[in-house]
Amino acid sequence: MPVYNRERYVVSALRSLVRQRDAADLDIIVIDDGSTDGSAEAVRSMMRGNPCIRLFQQSNMGVPRARNAGLRQLPPDAEFVSFLDSDDISPDGRFKKDLARFRANPGLELTYSLMTLVERIDDERLEPAVDSPTMTLRGISLSAAVFSRGLVDRTGQFDEDFEQAEDTDYLLRVFEAGPNYELLDAVALYYRRHAGNVTKEHSGRVRNHLRAIHKSMRRRKADPSRREVQGIFELKSPADWRML
Amino acid sequence: MRQSGIYAIASKDIVFESFDGEAVVLDLTTGKYFGFSDSGSRLWDALSSGVPASELVGAATGIGALDAAAIDGFVSQLLEFGLLAAVTDGVARPVSSEFLAQLAAAREPLKVDIHDDLADLIVVDPIHEVEEPLGWPAVKQAN
Repeated sequence: MPVYNRERYVVSALRSLVRQRDAADLDIIVIDDGSTDGSAEAVRSMMRGNPCIRLFQQSNMGVPRARNAGLRQLPPDAEFVSFLDSDDISPDGRFKKDLARFRANPGLELTYSLMTLVERIDDERLEPAVDSPTMTLRGISLSAAVFSRGLVDRTGQFDEDFEQAEDTDYLLRVFEAGPNYELLDAVALYYRRHAGNVTKEHSGRVRNHLRAIHKSMRRRKADPSRREVQGIFELKSPADWRML
Repeated sequence: MRQSGIYAIASKDIVFESFDGEAVVLDLTTGKYFGFSDSGSRLWDALSSGVPASELVGAATGIGALDAAAIDGFVSQLLEFGLLAAVTDGVARPVSSEFLAQLAAAREPLKVDIHDDLADLIVVDPIHEVEEPLGWPAVKQAN
């Protein structure tokens, strides 16, 4: 979990993980990317009583480098890897469902689930507020995935050239390589939309997204064994609904 | 003849960038994206910035001169895909020597490829501009 100035949300994000500790032997790696607010102290407050949370601090280097710093802290015996951003929520039972699939299918390398975009989250229940608008889709999110350790090692680092959309690039690289995956119809992430979302700045977002697409086309041109990412991403809300 | 015309980007929902001289075009309404060969990237840059198609006939690439039929076919595809639209009162931009030099270095025939594997993703998220006053998620039922 990379954290940058998210004192308001990071405790909820961590609580949503530790409530699932019966599902797996969790090792929660938090990279504080040079926060200037109380994020680190908020994380430390959660570490008391939750030794599965480990905090690492670095000067601000941006999300891709923070994610790579987290990958470098993976313990040698970690079997599965997932990600959660510091303002999002992992739905209860999410890891239990995925790990059951890995147990049932020993060759499985990746589960990829749905995400629900949420306007307001009830931070007590760690669920969408009852009156919140939501939209559910199979979109781009590292949190929708549980990766086998082997797949993470094979995929390599996040591309640090990206200011944003490093997750898009990473997931395109993963799916192009043709892993053994299952698409699960369960929601694995409540994605919180709020005024501070880094992905809201528009021109940079378009450029970084196009850069990820360009790199994907280039890889496929250079290596025809890499495939188009067909049939993964889909809007689960009715197909005739569109963004205004 | 179609390739005599001047063209412009068909709408504000067509966004594009160049990376290392390769153009990538995205249609935000359909979620389709488009990749070009090297010569195709050069022609996309020229046509989308107002260079008349007729000015490009006979221009040299690394694998021979562009003939009218090839340019016509390429322009037809861009129109059919909804990436460019003909403009009647456009101001023709001249062909630059830089463009000609880059085109002369191109090694692939004119080509544009259409991809729809990321369509749902692009239509919904993450790159649409959110109109704040509408709140979010801002959705409407398509007609």
